[in-house]
Amino acid sequence: MRNLNRRNFLKTAAIGISAGALGTSSIKASDKSLSEDRIGILVDTDVCVGCRHCEWACRTAHEFPACDLEEYSDISVFEKYRRPDNTSLTVINQFENEKNPLLPIYVKVQCMHCEKPACVSACIVGALTKLEDGSVVWDDSKCIGCRYCMVACQFQIPTYDYDKAIDPHIWKCDLCRDRRIRDKLPACVEICPNEALVFGKRSEVLSIARKRIKRKPDVYVEHIYGENEIGGTSWMYIAGKSFDKLKMPPLGKETAPGISEAIQHGIFSYFVPPVALFALLGTLMWVNKHKRGESDTEIESTDPDKEESEF
Amino acid sequence: MKPEAVKRRFFTPGIIVLIIVALNGLVFLAVRFFSGLGAVTNLDNNTPWGLWIGVDVAAGVALAAGGFTSAALVYIFHREDFHDIARPALLTALLGYTFVAFAVFVDIGRFYYIWHPLVMWNGNSALFEVGICVMIYMTVLYIEFIPVITERFIGRVKLRGIFAAINKPLDSVLRFLDKGLSKVMFVFIISGVVLSTLHQSSLGTLMVIAGGKMHPLWQTPILPLLFLLSAIAVGLPMIIFESLLASRSFRIKPEMKILSNLGSMAAPAIGIYLAFKIGDMFVRETFKYISISDTASRFFIAELILMIIPLIMFLRKKTLSSSSSLFAASTFVIAAVLLNRINCFIEAYTPFYDPTVYNPSFGEISVTIGCMALLVVIYKAIVIIFPVISQGRTQQENLP
Amino acid sequence: MRKILYILVPLVLTFFLVITAALPQSGSEIQEVRARNTPEKSQINKVHDDPAVLNNSNLKCKTCHTSEYPTPKDPGLTDCPRENLVSVYQSPKEGPESVAIVEMSDKYTGVIFPHRVHAEMSEMSTGCAGCHHYNTSGPILNCRNCHEKSRNREDVSVPDLKAAFHRQCMSCHKQWSGENGCNSICHKRKDITKDNITSTNISKTHPELPEPGKITWETNSNINKTVTFFHDEHIKLFKIKCTSCHTSESCIRCHTPKVQSDLNKPVKIEKSIEEHHKPCINCHYGNKCTKCHSDKEMSPFDHGKTSGWVLSTYHKDLLCSGCHGNQMPYRKLGTKCVSCHRDFAAEFDHKLKGFTFSEAHSELECANCHVGKDFTKNPVCSDCHDDKSFPGDIPGEKPGK
Repeated sequence: MRNLNRRNFLKTAAIGISAGALGTSSIKASDKSLSEDRIGILVDTDVCVGCRHCEWACRTAHEFPACDLEEYSDISVFEKYRRPDNTSLTVINQFENEKNPLLPIYVKVQCMHCEKPACVSACIVGALTKLEDGSVVWDDSKCIGCRYCMVACQFQIPTYDYDKAIDPHIWKCDLCRDRRIRDKLPACVEICPNEALVFGKRSEVLSIARKRIKRKPDVYVEHIYGENEIGGTSWMYIAGKSFDKLKMPPLGKETAPGISEAIQHGIFSYFVPPVALFALLGTLMWVNKHKRGESDTEIESTDPDKEESEF
Repeated sequence: MKPEAVKRRFFTPGIIVLIIVALNGLVFLAVRFFSGLGAVTNLDNNTPWGLWIGVDVAAGVALAAGGFTSAALVYIFHREDFHDIARPALLTALLGYTFVAFAVFVDIGRFYYIWHPLVMWNGNSALFEVGICVMIYMTVLYIEFIPVITERFIGRVKLRGIFAAINKPLDSVLRFLDKGLSKVMFVFIISGVVLSTLHQSSLGTLMVIAGGKMHPLWQTPILPLLFLLSAIAVGLPMIIFESLLASRSFRIKPEMKILSNLGSMAAPAIGIYLAFKIGDMFVRETFKYISISDTASRFFIAELILMIIPLIMFLRKKTLSSSSSLFAASTFVIAAVLLNRINCFIEAYTPFYDPTVYNPSFGEISVTIGCMALLVVIYKAIVIIFPVISQGRTQQENLP
Repeated sequence: MRKILYILVPLVLTFFLVITAALPQSGSEIQEVRARNTPEKSQINKVHDDPAVLNNSNLKCKTCHTSEYPTPKDPGLTDCPRENLVSVYQSPKEGPESVAIVEMSDKYTGVIFPHRVHAEMSEMSTGCAGCHHYNTSGPILNCRNCHEKSRNREDVSVPDLKAAFHRQCMSCHKQWSGENGCNSICHKRKDITKDNITSTNISKTHPELPEPGKITWETNSNINKTVTFFHDEHIKLFKIKCTSCHTSESCIRCHTPKVQSDLNKPVKIEKSIEEHHKPCINCHYGNKCTKCHSDKEMSPFDHGKTSGWVLSTYHKDLLCSGCHGNQMPYRKLGTKCVSCHRDFAAEFDHKLKGFTFSEAHSELECANCHVGKDFTKNPVCSDCHDDKSFPGDIPGEKPGK
C-alpha cells in the first residue's frame, strides 16, 4: 500500500522523490548502536579536593589561554557559581558540606556525553555525533551556528562564541578526542591528583560507583547521578549530598530527545503521512473542482485571462 | 474583478518613516555582521534563542499562514468567491517567508553555511525539517508567484540599450513559463499546503526537545498540533487584517462580502485551537500553575483572553458586517498568536541555570521592527508594480 | 683403547657432576616461582595464628577464601580489599620518623612525609589502618603492591599510585589557598631521595596536646540546657586514656585552615543525636539525662556530694581504682570502714587519729564506743561518761596540765 502510494506520486510529484529519501535517511540515523565498551567516567566528589588542575589541563589540551598552574590554587573563584563557557570547557564549583564545613564538596561540570544526547538529535546538520565509544563530538565543518543544541541540552552545556562574527564555534567537552586517538587519557582524568575521575568502561565504572556507595553508606547518598538521568550519561557522579543541592538538574529517566523524535518519526514515518496528505488534498481538489466549477474547462488555472471569463 | 497594479504614489510620508525605521535596523545588522551576535543581542549561553527566533522566525511563519489557508480555501476547496484574496495572501506569505529566511540568516552564527541543511541531513532534527520545508515552501511560493510576473511583463519587456537584444527571448521565456506552469500549478499548490502543515507543526516540535527547560504551561507533547491549529486559526484573520489595512491605505473599498465570509470561517478554526489548548491544560493538570501569580501565568492568561475575545466577536453577526470590528477581531487573533510564539520561545524558556532573565536588547528590537518596516515598503512597491490587489471601484470613484 | 677410557671416564664423571649440580639449581628456581604465587607455609601460619585474626569474630573462612576447600597450593583468595581482615597495628615509635616518597620521582619531585607526627596523632583517630588500609595482619605493605603506576590501565577499581599517595594526604589536607599550592607544601622544588632526609626535615614528635579543664555546651533544648563536662577529671581523676574516647578525631578539629576569615568560625561538625552522645554513653550507659543535662553549670565531682561519703585526709590521696577497682563504671561501695578494710577492728591504730587509749579502754570492744559500728562519727567521752566521772575523774594525767 505504501509502495503503491509512493509509486503513483513519484510519477507526478518531483518533491516526492526528495521527500522519500529524506524519510529513509531519518530512519537510518536513529539505528546507530553504541559499543559495549563505551566510555564511562565517574566523578567521586568525596575524593575531589577542588584543586582545579582539571580546568588547567582542559584549557591547555584545547589550546585555550591558561595561566600558570600555580594560580589555580586560588580559592576565591569559588565564591561565584560558574558554568563552562567558551574559555573553559570544564569548571569546578564548591558547595557547603553540612557534615563537615571545613571540607567542602567540589563538583566538576562538563558535557555529560549522554547516552541519548538531545544535542545530536537536535542538530540541524548533524554536526554533533554520538560516537561508538560513547563520546559526543562536534564537527566544525558542518555547524551552522544555529544554537539549537544549546536549546535542546538539558544540562545547558554547549556554549557559543557570541563575540565572534566569523567562524563562531560551539564549545563543549569532547572527551579529548585528539588525545584519545593517540591512546592518551582525557587531560582532566590524567592530571587529577586524586583520581577523583575514574575513567573506564561505562559498565565497570558503574559497578565501581555502586561498590563505593555500598562500602561507605554514611559518606554517600544512594544515587549515582547519570546512571539513569535522561537515559543515562557517560559522566556519572556520586556525592555525600543530594544532587539537587549540588545544582545538578533534577531529571527523569526519559531520554531527552524521546518525545521529540517520536513526533518527528510519527509525522515522517516512511513519509507516508505527508504523501497521504498530498493525495487527500489532491482528491479534494479534484472533487471540489468538478462539483462546483462545472463550467470550467481547465482543471486548474491561475491564468488571469481564464479567471476573467468567470466574472 | 481582475487584480491590477495599484495606481498610487510610492513615496508617502508613511513610507519615508518606514524606510528610516528600516535603516535603523540596518545599522544594528551591520554591527551584528561585523562584531558577532553578542554585540547586538542580549543572548547568552543560558538563553541561546531570543527575539529573532521567537518573533521573526516563529511568529513570522505563523503569521504567513494566510498563504496556505487561502490557497487551501481557494484552490483545494475551490471557493472561487474568495479568489480575490488569493494573490494578496500569496504575496504576504511570500514576503513573510522571505523575512523568516532572512531572520534565520541573521540569527545563525555561520550565516555563510545557511545552505548546509540542503546537503547535510539529520532526519531526527525538528529544526532540520522546519528548515527544509521552509526552503522548499519558499521556492513553491516563488513559483506560485511567477504568473503574476508573467502577467505583468508578457508583451511588455522593454529593456533598453545593449539589453534590448534579449527582449524577445525573455518574452518567450515568460510565455513558456506561463503556459507550462498553468498545467502543473496544482502540484505546487498542494505541495505548498502539505509543506505548510508539516513545518507549521514542526515549529512546535522544536521546543518539545527543550523538555523541562520550558515552563509546563506551554511544554506539551501536542505542541506541534497546537502550533498547526493556531497557524490555521490565524491564517484567515491575517488575510482580513491585511486586506483591510491595504484597502484603507490605498483607499480602496474593502470587499466586505468576502471578508465577513472569511470572518465567519475564522471562528471554528479559533474554537478548535482553543479547545485543544484548554483541553491539554486540563489533561496535564497545568491549571495549577495559573493560580500561581507570576509572569508566566499572566502571559498565559493574556494569551487565552486575546484568543477568546475574537472568538466571541467572530461569532456575532454584528462584527462580521462592520469593517472596523472585523479589523479589531483579527488584530486580537494576530496578537494572541504572536504572544503565543513569544511565550513558547522566550517566556516559557526558563532553564535550570539562568542567573539573568532574557529581555531583548534595543538592537534586536530595532532589527526586527526594521525588517517588518522594510517588508511593508516592499509590499507597497510590489502592489504598485504588479497586479496583485483586485480593485472594484476606488473610493474616490465611489464618493459622488 | 685405554687411552680412550682415561679420557672417557673423567668426561662422563664431570658430565654427571655438572648435571647433578645443575638439577637442584633449576629445582630451586621452580620453588621460588611457586612461592610467589602461593603463600609460603610460614606466611599462612602468620596470618592464621595472628591473635588479631583469631580474636576477630567477624572473620570467617569466606572472608578471604572464595573456594570451598582452600589448599596451600590453591588458596582461592578473594580480591582485596578484604576489609574484615584489617588488623595492622604498631606503636608510633616502631614506625619510621620520616618517609621519602620517591616512587614516581621520574615524573614528580619527591615528598618527605613526616610519618611519626601522623602516627602519633592517628592513635586518636583510625590508627595505622587509616592510612595502611586493608593491610592484613603481617608486615606493612608498600602502596605499590596494590596500586598500579599507570593511570591508563585495565582495572580502575583501585586508584593508581599517584592517586593513592595524594588521597592519603589530601583527604585531610583539603584546604587550598594561594600560598598553599602543591610546590609549597609537599613537592618542594628540590631533589628528594631517601638519603637526604636530614635533621632539618626530619619528623618531629607532635607537641603535647593542651588538655581542657571544664567544657560546657548549651543545647537547643528548652529545659536543662546546659551540659557540663569535666575533661580534667576524666583524665586526671579517673585516669581514662585519651584514645578511649577520642576514637575518630579529625585533624582539622585543631588544625583549622590558615585563611584568616575562617579562623573565627568555630569548627562545628554536624552530628546526629546519637553521634553527639556516643563518646559519653559508652561509659555512662544507663545514667539519667540529668546526670549531664542541667539548668545551670554543674560543680566539679565531689566524692562527698555524689556518694554521701566525704573523703577524709587519707582517702583523698588514693586513686579511684584503689578502692573501686579497675572496672568502670565504678560501683558504689559501702560507707563503713569494714566495707574496704575487712580486718579493720584488729588493726586500726587509734593513735593515727590522735587518740591514745588509756589502759582502761584497751579491753573494750569497738562497738562499745562506736555505737552501731558507725565509724564515721568520732565518739566523744561524754557519750559514755557523765560529767561527774569525766573529765576530772580520768586516771593518770589531767588534761591541760
